[in-house]
Amino acid sequence: MALLQNILTQAFITVIAVCGVYVLTGLTGMFSLGQAAFMAIGSYASGLLVIKAGIPVPVAILIAVVLAMVVGYLIGYPVVRLRRDYISLVTLGFGEAIAALLNRMTTLTGGASGLTGIPRCIGLEVATISAVAAIALVAFFKTSKYGRQCIALRGDELAAKAMGINVTKIKMIAFILSVALTSYSGCLYSFYMSYVDPSGFGWKKSADWVIMVFFGGVNSLTGSTLGAFILSALPQFLRDLQNYRYVIYAVLVILIINFKPSGLLGEWELTIGNIKKSIRRIGRKNKKEER
Amino acid sequence: MSIQVLINGLATGAVYALIATGFALIFNVLKFSNFSHGATMTVAAFVAYFLVSAKGYGIVPTLIIGALAGGLVAFCGEFIGFRRILKNHSSATYFFVSSITLGTLYEGLVTIKVGSNFFNYPQFFEKSTVELGKVVISTTDLMMLIISTVALGILAFVIQKTRIGRALRAVSFDRDTAQLMGIDSTRIIQFTFVVSGVIAGLAGVFLGIKYTLYPSLGSLVVKGFIASVIGGLGSLTGAVIGAVLLGLVETLLLSIMGSGYSTIATFAIMLVFLLLRPRGIAGSNVQEKA
Amino acid sequence: MALLEVKNIYKSFGGVKAIQNFSIEVNAGEIHGIIGPNGAGKTTIFNTISGVYTADEGSVFLNGQDITKMEQYKITHLGMGRTFQNIRLFKGLTVEENVMCAFDPRSSYSILGGLLPTPGRKREEKRGRELCKKYLDIVGMAEYLTEKPENLSYGMQRRIEIARALMCEPKILLLDEPAAGLNPTEVAELTELIQRISKELGFGIMLIEHRLELVMSISHVIHVQNFGETIAVGTPEEVQHNPAVIEAYLGKEE
Repeated sequence: MALLQNILTQAFITVIAVCGVYVLTGLTGMFSLGQAAFMAIGSYASGLLVIKAGIPVPVAILIAVVLAMVVGYLIGYPVVRLRRDYISLVTLGFGEAIAALLNRMTTLTGGASGLTGIPRCIGLEVATISAVAAIALVAFFKTSKYGRQCIALRGDELAAKAMGINVTKIKMIAFILSVALTSYSGCLYSFYMSYVDPSGFGWKKSADWVIMVFFGGVNSLTGSTLGAFILSALPQFLRDLQNYRYVIYAVLVILIINFKPSGLLGEWELTIGNIKKSIRRIGRKNKKEER
Repeated sequence: MSIQVLINGLATGAVYALIATGFALIFNVLKFSNFSHGATMTVAAFVAYFLVSAKGYGIVPTLIIGALAGGLVAFCGEFIGFRRILKNHSSATYFFVSSITLGTLYEGLVTIKVGSNFFNYPQFFEKSTVELGKVVISTTDLMMLIISTVALGILAFVIQKTRIGRALRAVSFDRDTAQLMGIDSTRIIQFTFVVSGVIAGLAGVFLGIKYTLYPSLGSLVVKGFIASVIGGLGSLTGAVIGAVLLGLVETLLLSIMGSGYSTIATFAIMLVFLLLRPRGIAGSNVQEKA
Repeated sequence: MALLEVKNIYKSFGGVKAIQNFSIEVNAGEIHGIIGPNGAGKTTIFNTISGVYTADEGSVFLNGQDITKMEQYKITHLGMGRTFQNIRLFKGLTVEENVMCAFDPRSSYSILGGLLPTPGRKREEKRGRELCKKYLDIVGMAEYLTEKPENLSYGMQRRIEIARALMCEPKILLLDEPAAGLNPTEVAELTELIQRISKELGFGIMLIEHRLELVMSISHVIHVQNFGETIAVGTPEEVQHNPAVIEAYLGKEE
């Protein structure tokens, strides 16, 4: 039971981060391989604020998220102006630099051996509520004017500009929103694990999140969330298989990318309208059976 | 900058140049960042270690087997990870995601074999340093500098002067038109992957010698990425120039501020550079057509 | 002052002189046709006016404002709408959402409304959808709101693109080969549509078109381009009898 609870909590924390990646990659078409660094900023900043400055946890989380957003703005400023191919590589460099910094600032962060002594004060309930809230916010964002403009410029920047869309501004908004979500997930992570070290925040982590989005469906928030949930829980369930779990994981993803490129769910979203449609369909079937 | 730093920087730059060109080759032809490149280096380095140097053979067989293994891995990778996507005419993002997944797969396979242990290539040279006047160069550095230069020279010759090199450039320019002109673009793409894999194999062995052998050795591919960003994505000349510059700057920073902060400083330099010149040193200015 | 004033613009790419000394004045209610062989620099003129490129020399004024060096999206806000030669609708969005995109930049709810269903968001979205309906009605596509454009015919996609350009509430509308790929019935419908929006909405239209019967029948002024240069300007009749135009189109008589 405790194991299941642990798996679920971690999966929900990942879901929050992947919601951010969905905004950036799914909606806007930008690939960040430094996204995990924002999770690191959230984790370390909130943890340090509580340990070293004795600030209450909720306030620490708020400050950490705002700090990450400020850093996101500074990095985003050049990033949103770059050609798309460069974005992934520049953010990758940024992520590695942050990891190096955390390793280096031993007195503050504990260096490679990690930051210990963070109070463990977050459990499954908070993770679940947060995940639901994150999904709801992103769902609202997707159907808002911002989401539409993101999708428009994802496909055709030139036409988007010709329709009056301020491409750099919209990209920046998407970037900052994704940073906020990811860093928040980092805060939850540190208060759940009570320990963080730099090794988990490299570009591989960011790449994993991108894979999750594509696995579930890059054009569907429902799909991305599902992908995050499945792929983050899977290796935990496969724990007994030790080293084989990443191979199984990779093979699964390669199969999806090759044979169902739109991901598990394609463009399908879980909405009230779509549920009603399904219920009606089932209803019709039942009536037939009654006759 | 002392001559010592210069030489060390050049040697580091030469290895980065190998990584960066292997990466740029694929970008040049398929227009995506190949993130399986790093893991290809790791696999090749390990294969060379287990098949050759662990059995007591010298540096030359190690390099040859490393290169062949890299080529083979890339050949298989193209078939498993990219062939279908290519046929579907999917967007570059799918190549990108597939390459990340392939990287995870390779690294996973290596981990199954070796766990998370560290390995060391045997000492290949009796004398570990060579003295040229006042300058002391490590033998391995000198060897890497020479072999990288030769390998890059051969690559440049193949691309500029041979039939297959011309075909490669044609496919890179416009895959569909090249196909219509009678070039078998699938085969050319296969060839490109193999060449990039061979270079990755060499680079992998070098990295293994310079540092140690471990499953995430491929992460050092980041250096190659940065080099080719500075040089201009997809440009081979740019990749080499970028790599040498990166090697020099890094070695210089290392001698000034030590290992941790030099990574950060390198990144800062890259970012500032990109702000000043977004398309890199040799990148062409692509104007979108309306 | 005319609504759109283009004064002696030049644009070259490397050695290719795509536009040489092009000038035009467009007033409300006028339709200007631009014709010329492929490669005459017609689309480059549109791209330079709408801000995709910046002119090497010369200046462009929209409604009295200098827009020569202005960013593309700002020019659109000042009253420029356009369509593209090779239809460029947004993939992944429905017909309604495609048209809404041209309203969104001036939709006035804040980022809070972007994340939560605030009253301001609901009000603005409703206003947007109503405008959407209005413009899709004008082009006769109102019943396809929830369709994906890629599932519709070429002619329908052209109409949606025009509706999207109208949604920008332009003072000047640039139509780049709107009849390309359409069948004769569709061309007739399009001709009627362009004349109707020109009259009803009263803005200036610039039209690039290869179908001479279409351009000649609806344009008030025709500009003939060849190798980046303007070789003739005048009413359709004047242009049709101009020797330089005949030469460019039919070749020199031996």
